[in-house]
Amino acid sequence: MDWRTGRLPLAGLRVIDWSVYWAGPYLGMMLHDLGAEVIKIESPSNFDPMRTVIDVNRYAGDGARPMTPQERASTNQHFNEWNRGKLSLGLELASPQGRELLLQLAARSQIFIENHRPSAKEKLGIAYEELAAVNLGLIYASISGFGQTPPERGAMALGAPVELASGLFSCNGYLDDPTPAKTGFSYGDPVGALAAVSALLLAVREQRRTGAGQYIDVSMRDALSFGIGAAFADWSMNHVESPHAGNRHPVFVPQGVYRAHGGDEWVAISVRDGRDWRALGVAMGGPDWHADPELASVGARRRRHDELDAKIEAWTSQRSAREAETVLQGAGVPAGAVLDFHQLWHDAQLNGRGAFQEVAHPSFGIEVRATSQWGRGHLPQPIGMPAPSFGQHNHQVLSEVLGLDGGAISRLESDGVISDEIKVQGD
Amino acid sequence: MPTNSALADLRVVELSRSAAGAFAGRLCVDAGAEVVLVEAVEGHPLRHEGPFRGEPRDIETSTPHLHVNAGKRSVTLEVATQAAVLAQLLSGADIFITDLAAHVLDPLGLSWPALHERDPALVMTRVTPFGDTGPYRRYAATNLVSLALGGQLKITGDPGRPPLSNFGAQAEYQAGLSAFAGTVANVLLRDATGVGDYLDLSTQDVVATNLEHRSPALNLGLVANRVGLNVSATYGVYACADGWVYITAFAPALWERLKALTQLPELNEERFSSQATRLDNNDELQAIIAAWVITKASDELRSLARQGHPLTVAESPDRLIASEQWRGRQFVRAVEHPVAGEVSVLGPPWFEEQPSATRPAPLLGEANDELLGALQQVAR
Repeated sequence: MDWRTGRLPLAGLRVIDWSVYWAGPYLGMMLHDLGAEVIKIESPSNFDPMRTVIDVNRYAGDGARPMTPQERASTNQHFNEWNRGKLSLGLELASPQGRELLLQLAARSQIFIENHRPSAKEKLGIAYEELAAVNLGLIYASISGFGQTPPERGAMALGAPVELASGLFSCNGYLDDPTPAKTGFSYGDPVGALAAVSALLLAVREQRRTGAGQYIDVSMRDALSFGIGAAFADWSMNHVESPHAGNRHPVFVPQGVYRAHGGDEWVAISVRDGRDWRALGVAMGGPDWHADPELASVGARRRRHDELDAKIEAWTSQRSAREAETVLQGAGVPAGAVLDFHQLWHDAQLNGRGAFQEVAHPSFGIEVRATSQWGRGHLPQPIGMPAPSFGQHNHQVLSEVLGLDGGAISRLESDGVISDEIKVQGD
Repeated sequence: MPTNSALADLRVVELSRSAAGAFAGRLCVDAGAEVVLVEAVEGHPLRHEGPFRGEPRDIETSTPHLHVNAGKRSVTLEVATQAAVLAQLLSGADIFITDLAAHVLDPLGLSWPALHERDPALVMTRVTPFGDTGPYRRYAATNLVSLALGGQLKITGDPGRPPLSNFGAQAEYQAGLSAFAGTVANVLLRDATGVGDYLDLSTQDVVATNLEHRSPALNLGLVANRVGLNVSATYGVYACADGWVYITAFAPALWERLKALTQLPELNEERFSSQATRLDNNDELQAIIAAWVITKASDELRSLARQGHPLTVAESPDRLIASEQWRGRQFVRAVEHPVAGEVSVLGPPWFEEQPSATRPAPLLGEANDELLGALQQVAR
């Protein structure tokens, strides 16, 4: 892949992105990063709820007035992160004319993505069979909580709750504490989106070879469970659930997250083997406790893990997390400061690879955005356009893709089939 | 055409020492490719992690290995002294996936420029903790360290307790998924031009990119921290009579559905009438919802969830293996392994209408004679 020469795998492909919240929009964004043109479709009365779900002024400090939904719709920092680079078409899908336009767009596209419940696409008449009828080569990808198959196809689950349904929640937890724990964000979304982009790229290869499209069904729950497949293999053989291990590791001993100097400051350390263990001792200045010959054995270190944790923390708590990281990495021991989001932004490594770029958004101002994860290193891929306002590209899409003239587009506007304003009910 | 034959014409050599490369290789198996796993003579590190099938411990039965190496061939060689054999193996391959650093492989004649010159069609993907560039490129990391420096660790766990790693090798799993997608993307370019590309992927990059609240934090000055089980009263985990359930009611339409479901009169009060006031009165609201949830059994909540109510019930691995949903999706495949016996291996993370037969993980070095025998003669 080389963005400078346009050597991108999906260059020349058009994607219709009818998706909401995170997993679907994030998938659309990744397809854009891989070179596709992505048209985000929302209905004025049924737009991506992520646009308005958070009022950014709530966090802007004292004196900031609440924003109107119209203002929120172009400033939400989740929406703007996951919809950058896309064209926006405000299309009333519930109207017969709106549906007809969608079918025409689908006939001129290679990929359609969505993450609504099955009943929503069936009600609107835009399920796979209906779109495939106008374009046999279309790849139609759905991301959902549990998949498109019964009996759970009707259940709703966003990326955070779906972790409970995947088994991951049950397996997470602090050492010696049976209470389960949840990953600190909507983890099912990015994992589901990465599974979906993988399956889609496989389908594109088939499409190029045979001309045939296909239906892709990705369940966020299944994608999370796949990541902990070992727990299912374990149950099938041993019929026991392992107790929560917290931050410990079966082979790397000791391993833990240790308090560093300051407030909520921590450093993660792993001792992978005997070499790391000896290096740890040298890096910490050769303390007496480390010289105990019994501790050369991993079995003894495992048995005395609590004691070692206390000794290591006595050392880490006297220095900043970054200092502990630097000293230990200097000796070849895996160690990393537990970074918060602001430290991430200023991290020399992430910035050295071009992880973040600034883009000017017309409604919000300067925004920091993450770049393509596949385009980093020596010459990071630029991120292109900021996220679109609702219906920003109505004219462009209808004229360039469907060849409609100004008069036809104006009639669609006056008939309420297209719009550049959201219709808000409630708060 | 199904996804499970999309890469059936391709041969993959996977030189991995972590779950990142191993997951990428496993997904190649699921896409129909032939995958040769190159292990050290003591075996892939995942063979040593366990849990194992009972005692005594046998590295053939380590469960992360049984899952993530399912369907691969295995050869053993010492890269440091047998780089020429590996290079021979690569000359018959279409894709090279590795999680060994450039500074380890480059001096052995296994650098991207050298491999690309020898075979311009080879696609190469390297997934390492920090990538090939930047000041930490020679730093050492494990999954835990990648979670720390990728920003995920800080926000997971309970307030007032240390940051908590989630279960498994989640940083490496995310990187493995991303490495696979990037590899297939480069296969598409190779199909079009006959020329292979190189992908330099960093686990830290992938973890930091996949974070939900990073953008609001950087652009609004928010500091996200650990929240434990509940983001807010209308978005979080509650204890039910015999388990745990997630309530999703933060958006207006979802809130209306929660009110209709619970029929709790308090929820109609003025103090809970908008998203903003629900946040202002979060703790009172949480107590009201908690008192309702604790009276419900998980089976009752499960059936409500299937009807579309905004709840999600916690499941354990044993319940999922037996679930009607997974049986219908053929997501659990019973595989007969020569040492471990019958073991459940999960299918790929996308639905397959007609799964191909899932093969067990290989015994250590099972393909040495077949795949290395002739090569070693040549290398000598």
